[in-house]
Order: sequence, then C-alpha cells, then structure tokens
Amino acid sequence: MQGETQARKHRLQGAGLDLALPYLMLAPGLMIVLGVLVYPLWDGLRASAKAYRYGSPVADVGLQNYVRLWSDAQFLNSLWVTVKFVALSVSLEAVLGFALALFCLHEFRGIRLLRTVLIIPMVITPVVVAIVFRLIYASDAGMLTALSEAMGGGAVQILGSPLKAFIGLVVLDVWEWTPLMFLILLAGLQSLPHEPFEAARVDGAGAWRVFADLTFPMMRPVLAVAIVLRTIDAFGTFDQVFVLTRGGPGEATRLISIYGYDTAFKFQQTGYAAALFVTIGLVVLALAFSAIRLLRRVDAS
Amino acid sequence: MSTRLARILTTIFILAVVLLPIYWLVSTSLKSNREITQEGTLYPHVPTLDNYVRLFTEKQFGSYLTNSLVVTFFSVAIALIVGAMGAYAIARFRLPFGMERKVGLFLLTLRIIPPVVILIPVYLLMLSLGLLDSWLGLIATYTAFNITFCVWMMESFFREIPVDLEEAAMVDGDSRFGAFRRITLPLAAPGLAATAIFAVLVTFNEFLFALALTATPRAMTMPRGTATLIGRIDTDWASMSAAGVIGALPIVFFALLVQRHLVRGLTMGAVK
Repeated sequence: MQGETQARKHRLQGAGLDLALPYLMLAPGLMIVLGVLVYPLWDGLRASAKAYRYGSPVADVGLQNYVRLWSDAQFLNSLWVTVKFVALSVSLEAVLGFALALFCLHEFRGIRLLRTVLIIPMVITPVVVAIVFRLIYASDAGMLTALSEAMGGGAVQILGSPLKAFIGLVVLDVWEWTPLMFLILLAGLQSLPHEPFEAARVDGAGAWRVFADLTFPMMRPVLAVAIVLRTIDAFGTFDQVFVLTRGGPGEATRLISIYGYDTAFKFQQTGYAAALFVTIGLVVLALAFSAIRLLRRVDAS
Repeated sequence: MSTRLARILTTIFILAVVLLPIYWLVSTSLKSNREITQEGTLYPHVPTLDNYVRLFTEKQFGSYLTNSLVVTFFSVAIALIVGAMGAYAIARFRLPFGMERKVGLFLLTLRIIPPVVILIPVYLLMLSLGLLDSWLGLIATYTAFNITFCVWMMESFFREIPVDLEEAAMVDGDSRFGAFRRITLPLAAPGLAATAIFAVLVTFNEFLFALALTATPRAMTMPRGTATLIGRIDTDWASMSAAGVIGALPIVFFALLVQRHLVRGLTMGAVK
C-alpha cells in the first residue's frame, strides 16, 4: 500500500533503500525532539495534576491546580503585568521600527553604518542587555545620574519606584527589539512592487497619501507577521527581568515567567507551577493559531 | 537641503540612542569601583584593566567561556546535520497521510510554545538522568530546541533548489541520499549558513535553561556565570560591567562578521 502510493505520487523515489530514506532522514531529529521536548511536555501535564511537597509528588489533585490559578492574586497580577508589558513594548517597537524602515528606505550616506549598528542590540546576550540598563538606571553609578549631576541635578532613581521600573523595563525591550522590527519591515518595504508608487508620483500624490493609500495597506501582512512574532517572543521574556529587577519592586515588573520560575524553584510548588506553565503554553498557542488564521483570511481577501 | 540636514540629525540621534548605553558599559568596565560610585565621571579618568583580569583570575570566566563554546558548537552542529536531513525529507518527499507536512507543522508548534513552559519537566528529566550541571544535559536540551527551527528554516531553503539537478545526478548513478549530499546540500549552503548563524546566536545567549540546569563552573555558560556574579555582589559595578563586556563581545563580534547572512536569517519567513 505504502509502496503503491509512493510510486504513484513520486516518480523520483527508487526502489530498495530509497523507499525507507524519508523515514531514515526524519527519524534522528524526531527522536531527539520527542525525547527532550515532547516527553517533558507530557510529563509537565502529568505533574500539573499533582501536589508536591519538597520537590516530590504527594497527592493527585486533578484540576485543582488549574482552578487555584484564577483565585491567586499574584498570578493574576503577573498576567496583567505581562499583558501590559507585551502590548506596550510591541506597539512601540512596531511604530518606531516602521518609521525607521521608511527613513532608511532611500539610500543615503551613513545608511550602512546605521544598519550595522542597529544589529548590535538584538544580538547582545539578553543578560548583558539587562546589565547595560542596570548601569544606566543605577542611582549611584548610573548614566542617568552621572548626566544629571553633570548638568547640576541630583541622583536619578529608577528601579526603586514601581511605575518607573516598569517603564524602564519597557524601554529596555524597545531598545533591544526595535531593530528586529526594523529589519523585517525594511525587507518588506524593499520587496514591494515599484509600479503603484511610480503611478502615484505621476499623479502627483503627496507623501502622506502615498503612505496611507499604498505603503501601509501593502505592508499590512508583513507588519502583522512581525507583530505576531514579537508578541509570542515577548510573552516568554525572562532573562532581562531576572537580571534587571528580579520582578520588583514589589510585583511591579514580575512577569508571568518570573512568577512561574519562583513558584517552581523558590517556593518548590512544582505541580502548581507546572499547571501555570501549561496554561501559559495554551494561551500562547491559542494566540498564535488565531493570528495565523486571521492572516490567512487577510491573505485570501 | 533641509531634508538632508534632518536626515543627518536623525541618523546621529539613532546612533546615539543605540551606542550610548554600550559606551557606558565599556567605560564603566575601565574604571575602578571608587571612580564609579564616588566620582561619577563621564569617562574613565584613570583607565584600568583590573576588572577584566579579576574575572579570569578570581571568577572562573575562562571555564564559562569554554563551556559556552563547547555547548554551542555541539548543539548547533548536531541540530544542523539532523535538521538538514529532516528538512530535506519534508521538502522533497510525499509520505502517506501527508505525514511529512504534519511533522513540519508539529515542529513549528513546538517552536511557538515559550521554552519556559517545559522548564520544570526538563529539569526533572535531567535530574533523573543525572545530567544536571553537565555539558551533555545542556547540549541535549539546546540541540532539541535548535532542531525545531532548523528544520523549519532549512525546509524553505531546500524548496528553492530545483529538483532537476538531483534527478540529473541520479540518472548519472547517484543514490537519492548521494544526490542530496553532493548536489542539494552545497547549493543550499547560504541558507544553511543563515540557519547556523541564527542557531549560534540563540544558543550562545540562552540563559533560562542554563540557570536551571547548571550550578557550578563545571558547566555554567557565559550568561549564567555573568548572572551569578551579579547575584552575589550587588554593587560591584566594575566586575559587573567587565563581565557584561566579556559576555557580549564574542557574540557581537561574530554577528558583525557574518552580518549579511544574519539579516537574511532574522528576517526570513516574516516577509515570505
């Protein structure tokens, strides 16, 4: 049966070893992924239905861990902080990245330097990015304090105040990831067809009209993909917060990933943390798939 | 004329926003702790390399660097070899029940889930296998993560290569696998390079799993070691900034070296 299907569908496949070839080529990768990612995923599901004490399971609790999440004020707060963080950072990055891409679309001197320099923030180790920003925000050794003192002001306090620390975290993320948004959108702009723009120029359309009627509508799919990619990524942000604020002050910057990590490794509530992570995984997957479906519909129309 | 001036000013502004924070990191790393906290200078008045020397003589940064290089090399190399084969199978063969497409979609789904979601069970797995705080534990984990996107990226590169060339090689007596190895793989080299570079970046910079899976300089990677330094001595700004420079230098240098491929890897998919 298998042989028949293949012979019909594929003139390329020969006999003998070549028949088994696709399976042999897929097997090693799949085995590693099944062992190291899928088995743990399954194991995490099982752990999420148990109560743990000092790192070992003591009782089956069914879905109780999942139910408990929604009355846990700290969980709900971390979820809210995460949503705020993602929404604010990603929209700022999209706007700035788009503006930057439009700015760099026309060749001019210095553009190569600019593009090279813009690569740096997104390739630097996230842990180091957090160090960079601690050095900016610190009230004693910080760049902001040094600048303020050089201009006759006093020390600047950022990470001690909940609101300022949160904004400080958003600024870090925007600094780090606007360049990626910029690169994707620039590639998108460069791949747009020339003809409509030339026609618009012949018609004497102004810069704003061209942007609103041509550039923006044509860029919508790329923009949407870039935003979806960044949103998924931003949801899992951990390293930068861990080093910059460790979630504080109070719970002001405690993203869901930090809360989950603490629940598991600091408070040793393995089962509860597993339920938390399964929930997050499902939320992100649901987000991603509805985004993909939406994009397909936009594509089709 | 005025647009040109505006353009120059904007360029300078962007350069300043990106580079000033990095300047401050490097400049702080060249000062003594006294100069940093008490004098608040804008550039190092008495430049010193002491902070860097201390990292390697007292803080085991040599081990961290070795661990990072070994772990990154093996997990990227294995993922590339294994991933290239899988990607080729998905790109070229039609299996019963559309199996090959389902495998591709499955790997993409795994890629979308934030890694932090499986942190706990991976930790428990490595604990039960006795692989905590070892190269092997990190290599296994990173290899698996790398495979999920290597397959996905390379599949699209293989699709761009015409089948005719392989057919010609097979008419000349090559086996299918031989045609893949001798014809397709070399033709896909730029795409493989872009994939490899992206994998190196992600792996070298990874922190979360290194945090949970390693505990001593035996296996700690650069980001992990740097973070340890910060946890222990909160106000040793001098060491912290030097650690930041050392931690970022290899990867930034690497990224600038392979810039063109890097941009291709980072932006691919999104535009297609």
